[in-house]
Amino acid sequence: MPVAQLSRVRKSILPLIEDDWSSIANRELPDLSEKDGVSSLQSWNLHVYMRAAARMGTGSNDILPSDVIFIEPPLAHG
Amino acid sequence: MYDLVIRNGKVVDGTGAPAYDADIAVKGNRIVKIGKVTEGAREEVDATGKVVSPGFIDPHTHFDAQLLWDGCAKPALAHGVTTIVPGNCSLSLAPLKAKHRMKLVGMFNQIEEMPLKAFKEGVVWDWETFSEYITRIRKGLAINVAPLVGHSVIRLWVMNEAATERTATDAEIAEMQGVLRECLDAGAAGLSTSYVDMDEKLLPVPSRYADAREVEALASVLGEYGRVLQIVPEFYDSDLTIARLDQLAELSLKYNIPTTFSPLFMNADNVDAVNRVMARVDEQFARGARVWPQVQTRPIDISFSFSVPSLLFMRFPSWYRIMRFGTPEEIIAFFSDADNRKKLIPEVAPLQGLWPTLVLRHVETDANQKYVGKTLKEIAELRNTTPIEAMMDLSVEEGLEAHFLSAGMGHNDDAKVAGLLNHPHVHIGASDGGAHILSFSTYGDTGYLFSHFVRDLNLMTVELAVKKITSDTAAIWGIPDRGLLKEGMIADIAVFDLSTIARGEEKFVNDVPGDGHRYVRDSHGVDTVIVGGGIAWSEAEGYQDVRGEVLPGVREMAAA
Ligand SMILES: [Zn+2]
Repeated sequence: MPVAQLSRVRKSILPLIEDDWSSIANRELPDLSEKDGVSSLQSWNLHVYMRAAARMGTGSNDILPSDVIFIEPPLAHG
Repeated sequence: MYDLVIRNGKVVDGTGAPAYDADIAVKGNRIVKIGKVTEGAREEVDATGKVVSPGFIDPHTHFDAQLLWDGCAKPALAHGVTTIVPGNCSLSLAPLKAKHRMKLVGMFNQIEEMPLKAFKEGVVWDWETFSEYITRIRKGLAINVAPLVGHSVIRLWVMNEAATERTATDAEIAEMQGVLRECLDAGAAGLSTSYVDMDEKLLPVPSRYADAREVEALASVLGEYGRVLQIVPEFYDSDLTIARLDQLAELSLKYNIPTTFSPLFMNADNVDAVNRVMARVDEQFARGARVWPQVQTRPIDISFSFSVPSLLFMRFPSWYRIMRFGTPEEIIAFFSDADNRKKLIPEVAPLQGLWPTLVLRHVETDANQKYVGKTLKEIAELRNTTPIEAMMDLSVEEGLEAHFLSAGMGHNDDAKVAGLLNHPHVHIGASDGGAHILSFSTYGDTGYLFSHFVRDLNLMTVELAVKKITSDTAAIWGIPDRGLLKEGMIADIAVFDLSTIARGEEKFVNDVPGDGHRYVRDSHGVDTVIVGGGIAWSEAEGYQDVRGEVLPGVREMAAA
């Protein structure tokens, strides 16, 4: 059955190999500069960004290969 | 002459159909007749005034270690549970190379709160492969076991240290697929993975280093066998939970596999969020995907002492770090120091609302017995101090063996929880049986379902409650020949009194290897529990027959 039947939910991606904030920003948010894209992604993905800040992450790359990365802000509900 | 007859019971057969009066006759391990049974039997159970139902199936447990020293998974069996699913949340005890044993024990200790000493003193490590583990637990098994294999463990087997460093290569993914096939051939019921858990060093568990293509490759192997994928999603955020359930739905559709995720809690502050998650679940089911949220029946109660790290303090770094990494002497010294207290106290300000309800439940010294049963707020008033200082003072005085109980921390709005439990796409489970043994009792959720939601509140029928924890579970998990009372089915049966069934009071007992303790609840109102046609437990005689099996069974058996 087509995916079109599903209602709209907040858009997210699963990282490709070697993805980091910059590569995701360049691919998913091409209309923004890389710097703006990265800071947007970080603000929409505190579950990843805060973990890295607390040094509970993965070394050089904040993003774990299994993370869900939102590519837009939360939808308005209600 | 039958082997066993259960007479005069009210049969609630697991289909959801109305209860009816009948006898049930058993020959060998199968039900051979339901109706009026005139012939005699070697053994008889008088079920007058009682419900006779299929044995309950508990789909989310961590009995992996306990099964090595206790084939009854006590006290689960006594509660009427005849089948358990261990190996959830990406962790199982096999396949496991000898060199990784202590790493895995560390993860079990951190994530499931299983004491290190129990592993050291209760476990003879004589297996590596999944098949060897199954052979090992099969001896003395009184309860049926449908074991999952943990993704983190498979990753560790194939990638060693790199399991917590990077994505897998194509060759490593192919090797993981081969290992998963071996486990499924040896009787694994499916695969479990986790997107939230942290290991003993507070770093992400191996499964969290897997990219989507690795998970898909493993799901494709599950598809060859039609077996289950279980995950722990980022349950604290509904957008993340929805993204995960969408991911599961695609895998379910593409590989024709059942999937399940847990936990899903209904709290006062997340009703809209849970409703959104359930609306998405319904949409995915409408597409044909099988994405079962697991919901527990019991409210969240947490017990803690400062002798072990507690979930309750995970959010408070200074508290959690000293609990996790300090020796008892270091924790006592830390709590006694006035400067440390200045740092510790403001950090737990968010717990403010707890003090009026947090109860002291156990102390070792005579001097403090007078406070047992009182709230921290009351104790603080008696001792002329603040609740939080009283908590630290008592812990120091008791050598950290002051135990506190925080009851009703969530998932306790009865009407809303009942709405979820009744939902056709909600899978009742998520007991976590055998885990978190120093934080709360994970036994008796089935008794609580019947006593609280069916009998006392009348928010669910007994027929639906039985169906949800028997035939629904067997259908979701692909467990053949169980979950229904029907001629020809295997005789896994619970006999209980609906007017008295309940989970007992939570108590702290000393029955874990290595002189360890745990919180348990006895069963009330359960009369007889039958596994494979034999009486495995009865209220009168305790634990008896040992006829548990590994389900759904090794592949050759399932096919035969
Ligand atoms: Zn679990």
